[in-house]
Amino acid sequence: MSSTAAQIRVKSRTRRPWTPSQIVLTLLGVAVSAVILSPLAWALFTSLKSETEAVEVPTHWLPKDWTGQAWSAIFENGNITNWFVNSLVVSVCVTVIVLFVSALAGYGFARTEFRGKGALMGVVMAGLMISPAVLGVPLFTTVQQMGMVDTYWGMILPQCAPAAMVYILYKFFQGVPRELEEAAFIDGAGRWRVFFTVILPLSRPSLAAVGIFTFISSWNNFLWPYMVTNNPDLMTMPNGIATVMNSYGIQWAQLMAGGLTAGLPLIIVFVFFQRQIVAGVAHTGLAGQ
Amino acid sequence: MGRPGLNRRQLLAAAGGLAVAGSFGFAALGKGADALASGADARVRYWNLFSGGDGYNMIAMLDSFRKDNPGIDVKDSTLQWGSPFYTKLAMAAAGNRAPDLGVMHLGRVTGFSPGRLLDPWDLGLLAKYGVREEDFNPELWKRAVIDGKLYALPLDIHVQLCFYRKDVLEKAGLLGDDGKLVQVTSTDEWFDVLKEAKKATKKGLQTIGLWHNDQNFQWWFFVAFYTQLGGTWFDDSSTEVTFDTDKATQVLEFLRRHIADGYADPGYGGAAGAEQFVNGSPFCWEGNWSVPVFDTAKVEYGATPLPPVFGKPATHAESHSFVLPHQSDRGGAANEAAHRLAAYVVQHARQWAAGGHIPAYTPTLSSAAYQELQPQNEYVTAMDHQATEPKVWFAGSTGILAQRVGPIVVSSTTGSARPEAVARRMKGALTTLLAMKNPMDGRTAAQGGAVA
Amino acid sequence: MTTTSAETVIRPARAHTAAPTATVRRKQGFQHGGWFVAPFLALFALFVIWPLLRGLYLSFTDANISGDGASFVGLDNYREALDDPLMWDALGHSAWFTLLVVPCITVLAFLLAMLAHHIERGKWLWRLCFFLPFLLPSTVAANLWQWLFNPGNGMINHVFGLETPWLTDKSYAMLAIVITTLWWTVGFSFLLYLAALQGIPAHLYEAAKLDGANAWHRMVHITLPMLRNITGLVIALQILASLQVFDQAVVMMDFAPGPEDSTRTFVQYTLEEGFTSYRVGYASAMSIIFFVLIAAVALARMWLLRNREEGGR
Repeated sequence: MSSTAAQIRVKSRTRRPWTPSQIVLTLLGVAVSAVILSPLAWALFTSLKSETEAVEVPTHWLPKDWTGQAWSAIFENGNITNWFVNSLVVSVCVTVIVLFVSALAGYGFARTEFRGKGALMGVVMAGLMISPAVLGVPLFTTVQQMGMVDTYWGMILPQCAPAAMVYILYKFFQGVPRELEEAAFIDGAGRWRVFFTVILPLSRPSLAAVGIFTFISSWNNFLWPYMVTNNPDLMTMPNGIATVMNSYGIQWAQLMAGGLTAGLPLIIVFVFFQRQIVAGVAHTGLAGQ
Repeated sequence: MGRPGLNRRQLLAAAGGLAVAGSFGFAALGKGADALASGADARVRYWNLFSGGDGYNMIAMLDSFRKDNPGIDVKDSTLQWGSPFYTKLAMAAAGNRAPDLGVMHLGRVTGFSPGRLLDPWDLGLLAKYGVREEDFNPELWKRAVIDGKLYALPLDIHVQLCFYRKDVLEKAGLLGDDGKLVQVTSTDEWFDVLKEAKKATKKGLQTIGLWHNDQNFQWWFFVAFYTQLGGTWFDDSSTEVTFDTDKATQVLEFLRRHIADGYADPGYGGAAGAEQFVNGSPFCWEGNWSVPVFDTAKVEYGATPLPPVFGKPATHAESHSFVLPHQSDRGGAANEAAHRLAAYVVQHARQWAAGGHIPAYTPTLSSAAYQELQPQNEYVTAMDHQATEPKVWFAGSTGILAQRVGPIVVSSTTGSARPEAVARRMKGALTTLLAMKNPMDGRTAAQGGAVA
Repeated sequence: MTTTSAETVIRPARAHTAAPTATVRRKQGFQHGGWFVAPFLALFALFVIWPLLRGLYLSFTDANISGDGASFVGLDNYREALDDPLMWDALGHSAWFTLLVVPCITVLAFLLAMLAHHIERGKWLWRLCFFLPFLLPSTVAANLWQWLFNPGNGMINHVFGLETPWLTDKSYAMLAIVITTLWWTVGFSFLLYLAALQGIPAHLYEAAKLDGANAWHRMVHITLPMLRNITGLVIALQILASLQVFDQAVVMMDFAPGPEDSTRTFVQYTLEEGFTSYRVGYASAMSIIFFVLIAAVALARMWLLRNREEGGR
């Protein structure tokens, strides 16, 4: 399957009239959306209450006194901004490295020949079954041996060998017509030049999909950063929010504000790059077919 | 492609390139934004597990330390209480990225591989900052010394208490002439007290909150009452389990009866017990750290050690202490600052004591100001009959023992398993643990696995 | 910069590549294409293959967290694991979670996709709404639902007029985790279904309409059969992900194993043994057992797929 086939296109036909069935379906859609979004609305409203109002019994939706105290508190405290920077550093590095190595490897497996290729490909595919959840403890001891516990690289590098991304790009490169390459070869270009000047520009949509998907999963990754970082200075957002406590006990308004801060960047990214993300998720998933 | 589009694209590319370069640069520096921003002479990374009232008091003590020592930057981090904290501390020490100073329950020190994951205190440095051995209860100090070296600097003793509301109990006629809870010496008397108290309790409130579904509290309460009965765990050489299932059954039935007879409402386990207490429920069993909670709530209350319903008084006790997590290159300014900070907090623990903890530093304990504290003076005797977990490598607050046995106790109290069966399961778990080798040195408890 | 230097290194081989017939290329050995896969393979070897081998080695030792002084203990760890009631409990919890989540998520995702596919206006909006929760970090979703499930002042009990102790009673705790998971992850499978729905050729429906098939018939005879592959994929991905459940369970239970140990999952137990009890050797043995289990599920799926393809022909 080619990359664009997985893309979901917004139909831009002329608007149809409101038929009864469309009205019913739309109302249903509104109701379902309300149910799905209500927890987020609840988080937002909680974050705008004072801590005492947040835990008041009986509870209520809208704040009686709207206050930004929780929001200013989390930024004054400094942990959240610190973790935000860490999340950004880790996610950006992971995304760049993953794009670089998996594009090369995907192309290598799809279009070049070398001894042992089949066997290596098989090994890489077997790697699809290994994750920090499955082999967490041995992976930790490996990173410990390398002296990378509680370092950025200890968080970054183990996230940089995703067999799935190689497989997706491998599938894509297989679909690129050979004629394009052959023409360049005849002009005297080498493998590397062909890869960087002919293949890469062609695969921009696929790379975007892989990159965005990698960024999302790295930004949201909890398990591995949780295992490998103990120093609160170096924690990423999901890890810090879950493991570092507020010294004054659970402060729900602040917790919700912090959670929304962690979720907001991806939500904004999603609104702007919706098509690429949808394609990316569908694509990465569908590639497993 | 128009020119403006191209410009925008260039701008985006430049911004992206900058972000990527910045990220890699940051990763290469490898310290975190906060550490980079710190310009102090020494930066102490200090991990603790205090939140709520304890957290509030700890922050206040740290703030006054910061004011007195402007050259030292204290980066305090509060991690999730219990095993997550110990997990993080152990992993950091094993990965050689430990913080400069940490907090630990004294009962956990023996199992935390002193020498491997913990560094000993420098007594000279401590003395320089005003802390000496003779200022501590000798028993407490002894528990902190392993192989002749001091591995923990005790901060407090904390105990499980029976909090009672004076206003409600007065109505029920359960207060003595001194305005304190009447003496209780048997289980029947205790349930009579509850019965009377229940009559005086407002509708919709339970009579007692005892964390019936919390594996830590239930285990602590079990240890307290089992010790009252004179129960033992292992023989002296730690080769045999001497756990008495009959005594255990008695304790489990006692705990269970609070729920079965309707004194504790199954819907109000956990922290809801304290909320109910504030709202007018007559009793709750809580750690002494709840003192500031009830003080702020302006509740008219008293607190005694857990009632000696099986004759001999005993209540569960643990201690918070400061430790130096293992760093292969320990020393220098940060290490010295860690000593100074710990010494400072131990000596300035008045506020900590106001938070309910019994201070380990005897000059504070014997000060007039402490002895006037209410209700602290009512329960300070608890330190003389402490019920503690057996001294084996797998014991200690939220240690393996508590994790394995705690849920078993809960299953009896909540009524999902029968007390006799639970007592047998507890004995089975103890037998398994006794045979288990301490992973840090490959020895069982009998072979002295990491016990001094 | 790296590209040009790499190119000069490769230059001697250019003469061959200039005549790119398959036979010539195959004879080049590792040197050429090998360089393309080398960076990935290096990372892969270090962080996937080596930990697997190391885990296998450690599983035969009594290694602890400090990383030294391990001695060989043969099959002891495996023997102990198979005899460990806590391990079986944990495995049971993960399996039970999987059993609850997978059917629900598959059905929900399908229904949401059908809804979003058939509403003609504002498609991007439905897609955004249904997918949004998946963009949150797992820990944020878990914290949020911990707050919603709070017995005293949580929204769930308030809205439905309940007094259920969701997170502190063993009969509800797992259910609470499952509900959280459904909300948080259904968006991913929803998108897969939506993509598949939009990939069904319109002419099939038009032809069926001409034949007089009503909406129900079109769904049963066209939509469902066309979605068979994607359903298999959704189920397989969900099974693999659900068996590895960790984040939501630990965060919602404050890193404890839940009321009366009722929500301790397999991953949680291996990490507890490895990092809380410091028994790295034992934890490695359990990791290997888990790996075998996951691999078995993945292989079973491949086998099923192959069988079906052959049966279809």
